[in-house]
Amino acid sequence: MAKLNDEAVSERLYSLNLGPQHPSTHGVLRVLLKLDGEYIVEADPIIGYGHRGHEKMAESRTYEQFMPNSSRIDYLSGLIYNHGYTLAVEKLAGIEVPERAKYIRVICAELNRISSHLLWFGTYVMDLGGFTPFLYAFDDREMILDILDRVTGSRLTYSYCRFGGVNRDIDAEFVSMTRAFVKRLRSRWSDYHNLVTKNVIFINRTRNVGVIKPELARLFGVTGPNLRGSGIGFDMRKIEPYEVYDRFQFDIPTGNNGDALDRYNVRLEEMEQSCRIIEQALDQLPDGLYRNEHVPFKVKPPKGEVYFSFESARGLTAYYLVSDGSSTPYRLHVRVPSFGNLQVLTDVLTGTMVADAISILGSIDIVVPEVDR
Amino acid sequence: MAPERVEPVIKFALLDEILNLARANSLWPMTFGLACCAIEMMAAGASRFDLDRFGAGVFRPSPRQSDLMIVAGTISKKMAPIIQTLWDQMPNPKWCIAMGNCAISGGPFEVEGQYAIVPGAHLIVPVDIYVPGCPPRPEGLIQGILALEDKITGGEKKNYLRRFRRAGGKS
Amino acid sequence: MAKKDQIAQRLEQLLPQDAICRDENYRAGVILAARLTADKLRAALQACEEAGFFLECITGLDFTDAMELVYHLNCYEPGSRIALRLFCQPGDTPPSIGDIFPAALWHEREVHDFFGIQFKDNPDLRALLLPDDADYHPHLKTFGKTHAYLKWEDVYGKIK
Repeated sequence: MAKLNDEAVSERLYSLNLGPQHPSTHGVLRVLLKLDGEYIVEADPIIGYGHRGHEKMAESRTYEQFMPNSSRIDYLSGLIYNHGYTLAVEKLAGIEVPERAKYIRVICAELNRISSHLLWFGTYVMDLGGFTPFLYAFDDREMILDILDRVTGSRLTYSYCRFGGVNRDIDAEFVSMTRAFVKRLRSRWSDYHNLVTKNVIFINRTRNVGVIKPELARLFGVTGPNLRGSGIGFDMRKIEPYEVYDRFQFDIPTGNNGDALDRYNVRLEEMEQSCRIIEQALDQLPDGLYRNEHVPFKVKPPKGEVYFSFESARGLTAYYLVSDGSSTPYRLHVRVPSFGNLQVLTDVLTGTMVADAISILGSIDIVVPEVDR
Repeated sequence: MAPERVEPVIKFALLDEILNLARANSLWPMTFGLACCAIEMMAAGASRFDLDRFGAGVFRPSPRQSDLMIVAGTISKKMAPIIQTLWDQMPNPKWCIAMGNCAISGGPFEVEGQYAIVPGAHLIVPVDIYVPGCPPRPEGLIQGILALEDKITGGEKKNYLRRFRRAGGKS
Repeated sequence: MAKKDQIAQRLEQLLPQDAICRDENYRAGVILAARLTADKLRAALQACEEAGFFLECITGLDFTDAMELVYHLNCYEPGSRIALRLFCQPGDTPPSIGDIFPAALWHEREVHDFFGIQFKDNPDLRALLLPDDADYHPHLKTFGKTHAYLKWEDVYGKIK
């Protein structure tokens, strides 16, 4: 690490702008770096280039009309956000959901989680310079998108969940396609491990890079695979199970050091655990209604508030919904995991080299329109 | 008084045609994904919907090395001056595709009381092709790129390197 | 002792009797909600930090008679989320907690951006999400189009 000469330090610092248009396709993030040679002295993320005003829009739309917005906040886990929003409103309004609908929503949410992690995997290794795993990951991801496209009608930004269930029922073709996909994904782990995990260059670029200590993670509100990579097994699906997650057996992978390699391993393992959940859910899938027929056309939750948190692909996400008894929310605040995950970089990036900064930025897995809302 | 078009003194029609053929079949896009449409743009460049077979798969990060700007995503007011700067940095000849409803007209975010976005890329840069959808399927983006190639060469018949008919294409 | 009981004890020592409202049913997603005043804010959050909580988010709410700041904190055990609520009037400067929880620096910047609430001692209150030259505060109910602008009691009723 560079030892800075105390005198005239400010004259030797060079300001470099990383973004807002840069090849790592995380969105429009700008990080203002102050460099001393190749080492970063200060990193200041500047966000807001993707601000679209979701929360203000919520105050003039009905609950149903906000559903497309919820998917576009974090477009990579669009179905999980849809799901969480629906659960928040159902909790506040006291709407019952039939069993089959719960299982369908969980299966689709886990498929979405796998597709988000696959995309992260492809783009992270592309950031580090390897282009081939990107193509492998996108190929697998296209299979998931085919499955979800058949039932929801959309590839990326879904509005599939409705208050009281889902929009359309799944059929036997969906079940067989999903089982075939899980089988195929499991056969690909060896490919991914041979290509990337055992690759010496990859290991050198990720081991001991971007270490996030658990105490630092707690002070900055870091959640999700970043926190689990640092050793704390905090996953909302296990801590406060919602929907039917308490009926499945799955593990929460954790790492030891908190470096980028640990976060990578945690995410790959999480994909395998999601496959386990999908298989168990398909085995337990009951017959019945896919939607509660008695939900009013315009949902009017009673006065009050609810803070509903769930686990998206990036961490702990929450909808804080304040209702004034009408069909429009009074205030809708979304707590996004990438907000804390990005803020920890102000601390973690100091003292690293610029090339390591790209590796750390990629391993945190942020989606900038989510930070900007 | 309208500015006069500067015409070259000696015109080589055949050379122009050859140059246009070359430009159309080797478009180099700039990676300019702003929001959700960026993911479909990446999917269009990936293995299933290959953009490389049209010569357009080489995504350049730097605007100075690219000739096609695909504005994919919502343009916020904070981002607008940067789009202008990037467009100015691109060397001529350059083209622009507005991908997705947000880049065409603000999309799902253009509501009464919206304070944060610019409703459409045409307010900032001159757009050649509009690709609708939210987000458009990668096939839609490919159709947009093929339409741009037709625009550059002046018609599908003149694009001698193309061995198929584009659906909805006019000669 | 579970962390939520630990923090409930500490808050009971710190705050007056009727300022804390405990909800075992977790109806609103929180186990207990506490009403604070600006002078007790830092002490309460210091207690949370020592008990091992992390700051989930700071939300601003706008009503006709006051503005409210809601601090949600959680720890790594199940069912332990707490909400600390603080009323403030336009023109108030609540103290910043950026030195206790560094996560609060950005949350306070965001609340300042959207509501115009200045936080005392926050080292850096630049615009976070809005353009640098923005002089409007969008989430105030008097800005743009919004459906309802009510008093606090109209939404929550007489109890906190």
